[in-house]
Amino acid sequence: MPLVKLYANLRNIAGTKELSITGASLGQALSELVRQCPALDGLILENGQIRPHFVITINGLNAIDLDAVVTEQDMIAIFPPIAGGQSNPHPLPLSLWESGTPFPHRGKGWG
Amino acid sequence: MVDPRIYEMFRDIGRDLFTSNMISSHGGNLSVRLGDRVVIKRRGAMLGNLKPHDLIETRLDKNDSGVALASTELLVHRTVYMSTPALAICHCHPRTAIAFSLSRDELVPIDNEASYLLKKIPVVTEEFASGTPEMAKKVANALKNYKIIMLRGHGSFATGQTLDEAFHWSSTLEESCQIELATKLINEPFIEYRKMSESYNKF
Amino acid sequence: MTGWNEKILDVDLTTQTYKTYPLDMEMARLFIGGRGLGARLLWDLVGPEVDPLSPENVLIFTNGPLTATGYQTSNRFSVTTKSPLTGTVLDANSGGFWGMQFKKAGYDVMIVRGKAEKPVWIEIKNDVITFHDASDLWGMRVFALTEKLGQNNNKRNVLCIGPAGENLSRIASIMNDRERALARGGPGAVMGSKNLKAIVVEGKDRTQIDDPERFKFLLYETRKLLAASPLTSQALPEFGTVVLMNIMNNIGALATRNHQQTQFEGAEAISGEELTEKYLVKNSSCWACPIGCTRISKTEKVEGEGPEFESTWAFGAQCGIDDLPAIIEANSLCNDLGLDTISAGSTIACGMELSEKGYMDADLRFGRADQLAPVLEAMAYRRDIGSDLADGSLRLATKYGHPELSMSAKGMEMPAYDPRGMQGQGLLYATSNRGGCHMRGNMVGPEVLGLPKLIDRFQVQGKSSFVILHQNVSAAIDSLVVCKFTNMGVADEYFARVLSSVTGIHYDTGEMTRVGERVWNLERLYNLREGFSMKDDTLPPRLLNEAPADGPSQGWVVQLEPMLKEYYRGRVWDENGIPKKQKLEELGLASLI
Repeated sequence: MPLVKLYANLRNIAGTKELSITGASLGQALSELVRQCPALDGLILENGQIRPHFVITINGLNAIDLDAVVTEQDMIAIFPPIAGGQSNPHPLPLSLWESGTPFPHRGKGWG
Repeated sequence: MVDPRIYEMFRDIGRDLFTSNMISSHGGNLSVRLGDRVVIKRRGAMLGNLKPHDLIETRLDKNDSGVALASTELLVHRTVYMSTPALAICHCHPRTAIAFSLSRDELVPIDNEASYLLKKIPVVTEEFASGTPEMAKKVANALKNYKIIMLRGHGSFATGQTLDEAFHWSSTLEESCQIELATKLINEPFIEYRKMSESYNKF
Repeated sequence: MTGWNEKILDVDLTTQTYKTYPLDMEMARLFIGGRGLGARLLWDLVGPEVDPLSPENVLIFTNGPLTATGYQTSNRFSVTTKSPLTGTVLDANSGGFWGMQFKKAGYDVMIVRGKAEKPVWIEIKNDVITFHDASDLWGMRVFALTEKLGQNNNKRNVLCIGPAGENLSRIASIMNDRERALARGGPGAVMGSKNLKAIVVEGKDRTQIDDPERFKFLLYETRKLLAASPLTSQALPEFGTVVLMNIMNNIGALATRNHQQTQFEGAEAISGEELTEKYLVKNSSCWACPIGCTRISKTEKVEGEGPEFESTWAFGAQCGIDDLPAIIEANSLCNDLGLDTISAGSTIACGMELSEKGYMDADLRFGRADQLAPVLEAMAYRRDIGSDLADGSLRLATKYGHPELSMSAKGMEMPAYDPRGMQGQGLLYATSNRGGCHMRGNMVGPEVLGLPKLIDRFQVQGKSSFVILHQNVSAAIDSLVVCKFTNMGVADEYFARVLSSVTGIHYDTGEMTRVGERVWNLERLYNLREGFSMKDDTLPPRLLNEAPADGPSQGWVVQLEPMLKEYYRGRVWDENGIPKKQKLEELGLASLI
C-alpha cells in the first residue's frame, strides 16, 4: 500500500509520522489521509487544490497534480509551510529543447 | 519550436487572461527570459488560444528568430529585461484598471489583497503608446521600482521571476480596480480598516 | 548624515596606533556597506602579492546604513579579507549583537592592518580606542574569553578568536557574542596571524534616519509580511533551519558520506523534528529579529546555540553519523574552539573516505560519532591527525594524493545541498566568488521550496537566469546589511525603499539589484586579478561524473558546461568568464582596471 510520511508540525496535528493509505491518485490518497486523520481536514487541500504552502513529493519528486498516479510502492511525503509567501506548487519548465526529463517526475519506471 | 511545457505555461496563462476579460482577442503579450534569450508571442496570435507555433524564441539583444515579430511590444520586453531583474513579463489590458488610469497618476488600492501585495501602481503616459523606444524606456524605468505599472489608456505591464507571478500581480490589480469601481456605485463613506494606509501612496 | 556614520576607523597593529577619517560617500552610494563596501576597500588595499596570513593582509569589518536602525534583522555585519583557505576575496557575515554595537560606536568601517608584536585585544568605546595586552588571554577558548571580557548582549559585545585561529587553522572562524560566527574561509586565521585576540565594543550613538515616517510604515509592513509568511513565522521559529534535513533527504539532494550518496538513512534521527522533540530548550533571536531561528539546544554535556542545518549536516550525513547529541556537542565545541562547522565536518568526512580507502593511514571512519570531539580538538591545536585536517579538505586530500576527494569549489568545502539533485545549486557553487558556498545565491528557494515559485530542479536550460538574479540580490542584501531570512517573507522592493527612507538617497529595486551586480563583478575582478580563471569555475569530478545509483536524483550529474556557458552570456562576460568592458562601464567599474 502506498505510504504517506508527514513532517514538521503535521506530525503533531495528525498524531503520527507515517501511515499507509489506499488510493490510485494523489487526490484519492489525500482524501484517504484526511479520512484517517480528521485533524488534517482543511489543512492540505483548499477548494480541491493543494494549498500553496505545501511541498508534496512522490518518491522524492515534486507532485503538483491531484491526478498524479500513485502505485503500490510509492511513498508520498508532505511538508507543511516550509515555503512561505506566494509560493505556488506549479513548477516552471524551463527547457527550450525536447523534454529531457518529464516533469513533474515520476521517478522509477520512466522510459 | 519551443519546448511543450513552456508552451503549456504560456497557453494556460494566456487562456486565463482571456477568460477573465483581461485582454481582447489579439491583445496583450507574455514573455519569459531564459538566459540570454527571450520567448514571446508571435504577431497576430491570440493569447487566449495559443498554438505551439505561436511562440517565438529570439536573442535578448536582437531579433534572430527569422520571423517578423510584430510585436512592436518586443522592444518593450527587451528593454525591461535589459534594465530590470525581471525574468517574466505579463502585459494585458485590464479594463477597469485602464479606466482608472485615465483620470489618475497612480492607483492606490483600497482592498486588502492588493494593498498587501501591491501598495501602489504608478501610471505612465506615452503619446504613441506602441513600441517606440521612448515608450519602452518609460515603461522599463517605471518597472525598475514597481512590479506592475499602468500605461495610461493602454494596459498593465507586470514582471516576476515566473509568468504566473507576473500574472498574479495583473489579476490582483484588476480585481482591486473592480472593487473600487463597485464602491463608487455604492457611494457610501469609506471605513478605513488598515493601519498606516495613509502611507501607501508613498510606497 | 543619515544611515551611515560616514567614518572609518583604521587600526595599525604593528605600531598600535589608529586614525579615523571620513568614508568616501560616493563609494558608499555605489557599494552601500557590508560586503559591497568591504570588497571595494579590499580591492585597493590587498593585491595579488599579499599572502593572506602576512601582516600585509587586512581585516575590514563593515556594517551598513541600515544597521542598528531597528529595522528587522538590522544587526548583521561583515568581515572582508583575502581568504587563507581559498586565496579569493572573502566576506563572512554574522548576526547577533556586535554589528549593531559597532554601528552605535560611531563607525561604518574598521580596517585592521599589520601585526602586533605580542597578543593584543582592542577595546572601542566610541572615540576611545584602547590596545590591551592579551598575553594572558592567548590560549583561552571562546566561551570563557567572551565572558571574561564582559559580554553583555545589549551593551558590550565581544568578538574574538579561539585556539583554532591562534594556531592559524585555515578554516578558523571569528566568533562574536559567544556563539555567532564569521565562519567560512578562515578569517579567524587572519586575525590570529595578526596576534589580535579580540575586539570589544561599546557604543552610544543612534543611527539617524532621513524619513522616519516612511521608515515606520515600512517597518510595520515588514512586520506584517514576516508574520504572514509561514516560513518566517512558523517553520523557522519552531524547527530552525534543521527543518530542511528531511526535505533535502526526501528529494535526494542531501550529500552523504563525503558526497558518495545523495540520501542518508539516518536523516530522520538528525532532523529538525528530532531536535525540537528531544533537545530543544527554546528558540532565540539576534537583535531586532522577530523570526527567532536560533536554536538553544541541550544535551547531557552542553547547552548553547545551534545547531544549524549545515552544522548538523556536516557532522551528520556528511560523516555518516546519526547521533544527534554528539553532533550538537561537536557544534558547540567548534564554537568554543573557533572553527567553521561546515569546513570542519566536511574535512573530517574527507579524512574518513581517505582513511577507509587506505590512502591515508588513520583510523577515521564514517559513522564514528565518538571521533568527532577528539578530532576537532586535535584540529584546533594542530596535534597529530589534526595538523593534517586543520587546513581544510583540499590540502588534506592533496597531501594524500587524491585532491579529487575534497568536496570543495575553489578550495572551500561545499555545504549540504548535493547539486546532483539541484542543478542550479551546482552552477552556484562553481561560480560563487568565495568558493563552494550556498549563502551567495541559495537556489533552495526556487528549486526546492517554491519561493517565490517552484522551478524544475533538474532542468538545465534557463537556470542561469535564476542563479544570476539570486546572486545579485544576495549580494545587495549582504551590503545593506540585513539577514537573508527576511527576504523569505519580504520582497526586494521593500529593502530598496527602506534603504531610501534611511539614507535619503533614492534607490529603486532595479538600482539595488544593480548594486548587487556591481559587487558581484568587483569580486570577480578581484579573483581574476589573483589569478583565478574560468577553469576554477568548476566542481569536484564526483559531481560531474558520478551519478547517484539510487534515489530521486538517480542518474543525474551536474550539467555544468551548458549552464556555465549560458551563465557567462547572461552576465555579459566573454566566453572565458571575464566581464566585458561594456558591462564594467555600465556598473561604474571600468576605472578600476
